[in-house]
Amino acid sequence: MTSIVRNQWYVAAYGREVGRELFSRTVCGESILFWRTEAGDVTAMSDRCVHRRFPLSQAPSHLVGDAVVCGYHGFTYGADGGCVAVPGQTRVPRTARLKAYPVVEQDSFVWVFIGEAEKAEVTAIPRAPWLDQEGWTTVSGMEPLAARASLLVDNLMDLSHETYLHGGYIGTPEVAETPITTEVDDEAGIVYVSRHMADAECPPFYATSTGLQGRITRWQDIEFVPPCLYKLHSRIAPVGSVPNPDGTDPDAFHVEVVYAITPETESSTHDFWAVARDFALDDEGVSAFLRENNRTVVLQDVVALDVLEQVLAGEPDGYQELSINIDTGGLAARRLIARLAGEGAGVAPAVGR
Amino acid sequence: MNDMLGGERVLRVNWLPGSDRLVGRCHCGAETEAEDPVQMWEWLLAHPDHSAGGAGSPDPVGELPPPPAHVITDPAVVRSRTPVLV
Repeated sequence: MTSIVRNQWYVAAYGREVGRELFSRTVCGESILFWRTEAGDVTAMSDRCVHRRFPLSQAPSHLVGDAVVCGYHGFTYGADGGCVAVPGQTRVPRTARLKAYPVVEQDSFVWVFIGEAEKAEVTAIPRAPWLDQEGWTTVSGMEPLAARASLLVDNLMDLSHETYLHGGYIGTPEVAETPITTEVDDEAGIVYVSRHMADAECPPFYATSTGLQGRITRWQDIEFVPPCLYKLHSRIAPVGSVPNPDGTDPDAFHVEVVYAITPETESSTHDFWAVARDFALDDEGVSAFLRENNRTVVLQDVVALDVLEQVLAGEPDGYQELSINIDTGGLAARRLIARLAGEGAGVAPAVGR
Repeated sequence: MNDMLGGERVLRVNWLPGSDRLVGRCHCGAETEAEDPVQMWEWLLAHPDHSAGGAGSPDPVGELPPPPAHVITDPAVVRSRTPVLV
């Protein structure tokens, strides 16, 4: 049975990755070709020529205006995936068309709808506005993960692992020691996990980027929109500082850490990460530091989860887990994902592990 | 801590400061305490049929069975071992 939730929008790429070069990425087991029209719009279609299955992203396939020409026999497809020319004859077979995917550019991401296309319009695309908004500066990247997406969800929903896996970067003793509050909005489909540390050590990640020295107030508020968009609202401030009643928060530094968790296959994942901040907006040194450090932290997770995937794949089904208080949010996320999987089931193609 | 989500169908689980106890609150107002998040979610999700007995009971005292072996089915994932030097 597939673990991939269908009939959902997923992040396929950053907008900056897609241009007038043919670009391919596998999303939820489907190989998808992306390119921009001359007007600048992103298109998404199946990355296999209907004729002999040659990948359209493979040279010498190429763009001519707003059409992609297969590099094997010259089948030519328009921006809607329809074939407009075949070699040696004027009649284009009616079935010569590529699956076209609903695609939207939003919040610096290219979102693609996986499932029955007619459901795309009634399915919300989660938002992460800071990534492309005045008043914020963002660094971002993507790391390939050789592990199933659910392992990354588990990882991100329980930040107590920062203390052990990410010590010296973002982990301090207080993270694992501080109790969490978990909320689930069943109608909106959101899991919210709060960990508010009133008096905590400032980890290097925040000490260097904010300049705050000594003890800090550190709030971690996770907002997860299953199945794929994770937002960590991080607030760093001098000890004792709280936001004003009107919502302004002039003494605090705000960092929005966003992960888009996109299954590549059943057992591999695109780990998109972004760090947006509302301070030192033009300081390239801070950008470079946050980019390097967050990538290091992500790669620490990647190493751990790649090993975990190998271990789980080599075990018999039905292994026993143990959950404790720190897992309250992760368990809630699993349940909402399972519910979405039930709603989206019934049309899943076979996807190899 | 204040409630963060403002919806009408929000389930909440608070970890009681200074303890290992969880307090769960349904949107209907029903509340219970538990020590196990799995049992807590089962209790909350049973709405409107929340068990009057609360969300499970503490671990039973008494002797436990021995823990199971960690069985591996794929030889490729047998972890490499470093010989002990004597």
